[in-house]
Amino acid sequence: MKELFIEYGYVSLNKFGEELCGDKVESVTVDGYTTLVLADGLGSGVKANILSTLSSKILCTMVANNIPIEDCIETMIQTLPVCKVRGVAYSTFSVIHVDASGHGYLFEFDNPQAVYYHEGHCVDFDRKPLDVLGKKVYHSEINLCDGDIVLVMSDGTIHAGIGRVLNFGWDRKDIMEHMDRNIRPEMSARCVAWLLAAACNDLYMDKPGDDTTVAALKMREALHVNLMVGPPVNKENDDYYVAKFMEGDSKKVVCGGTSSQIVARYLGKKVTTSLDFPDKEVPPIGHIDGIDLTTEGVITLRRLLELTEKYISPNDLTPKMFTKQDGASLLAQMLLENATHITFFVGQGVNKAHEGLPIDTTLKLKLIERLASSLKAIGKVVDIHYA
Amino acid sequence: MIVKICIGSSCHLKGSYDVVQGMRDILKKYDVEDLVELQASFCFGQCADGVVMRAEESLDGSEDVFIRGVNKDNVEQKFLSEVYPKLGLPAPEK
Repeated sequence: MKELFIEYGYVSLNKFGEELCGDKVESVTVDGYTTLVLADGLGSGVKANILSTLSSKILCTMVANNIPIEDCIETMIQTLPVCKVRGVAYSTFSVIHVDASGHGYLFEFDNPQAVYYHEGHCVDFDRKPLDVLGKKVYHSEINLCDGDIVLVMSDGTIHAGIGRVLNFGWDRKDIMEHMDRNIRPEMSARCVAWLLAAACNDLYMDKPGDDTTVAALKMREALHVNLMVGPPVNKENDDYYVAKFMEGDSKKVVCGGTSSQIVARYLGKKVTTSLDFPDKEVPPIGHIDGIDLTTEGVITLRRLLELTEKYISPNDLTPKMFTKQDGASLLAQMLLENATHITFFVGQGVNKAHEGLPIDTTLKLKLIERLASSLKAIGKVVDIHYA
Repeated sequence: MIVKICIGSSCHLKGSYDVVQGMRDILKKYDVEDLVELQASFCFGQCADGVVMRAEESLDGSEDVFIRGVNKDNVEQKFLSEVYPKLGLPAPEK
């Protein structure tokens, strides 16, 4: 049976000229349950940011702990500070709460109606209105299959382009058509969120008239990646270390010249190396039969970290797919877009080759740590084995 | 014959990219592209003397040798002194 995994990601545009976003996405996975909240605070700037931060945090924490939605909303209303100008405490929200098999529910209050991408098309959830403390909250059942995506968004999406490139903006139907045309099965949740947010930013001509946020939650097949970097401290452990690395039905990645030699020797294969430099700054990749990707070590990883930190920033609008063929881009595509579970095998052996050069083991370990924490931050399951 | 150029971390920092480009141009210039196959290699373990190239399967039957301390300025001279003589060709025209 396929191992399925729930992943999520979001992209935010700040209203032009604002340093803070009035939309906030909060998410947490505990005991196999994933909770994701998108809140849009009244107004913009600091005030909206405070409102949405409070709302999303309260909702996310309470819903994740299985507290009835009425209680959550009551708590939220009583906690939010009342706006002096408008005399109300207000923040819209969408809450998704699903278990590992994709069953769960969605509650929506005043955000644009969520879009459900199912079997290649955007459709509506069958949603039922509820009256909670005088507020009209919509409830939908969620039953996700492999490849399904739930998109929640703030109203900045449907207002994109009004009075600028489009007289009346685009509406939800146009958004659904746009997504139908552009979503590809291999895209990650974050990539899908980017797809819509980037389109909105284009309609706003890079000057968003409102905070705009898109969050996507996707049910997908799990992909495990084992990544080995660096030789073990103790040479006698080489074979044991590689055997552990090769275990299981996962993609195998080797970073580093010495590491690739060790792996190739264990497998009884040869390391071949490409002479092509798709990117002048990144050393060419290599190839070992039976290994999915072989690259140079620390320089490639440093570039990968740069790409990663850009990728995970919610305000970054560069494409989330990596199509370049250099080692760092190939790694980024595999780890950021394709993988759901990543296991690092980090050898702490000192590389004699690098003595006297601005490359040392501590630096490499720091790189891996930062990389691992960035990957965790976007919901990947990360494990590190040191040898 | 085969000339392997190291593109490991250390040699990369010392300018493998320029050496690779340089060798490509030089092989063309001396019209020996059919005789010399350029390949890349990860670390040879000679990092202190990078960029390192290794000449293998020489056409004049001599042994494999490392060519050390190559950079974009001396790559042609290194080629003429270390690689060209192993091709078993008459001296190149000036």
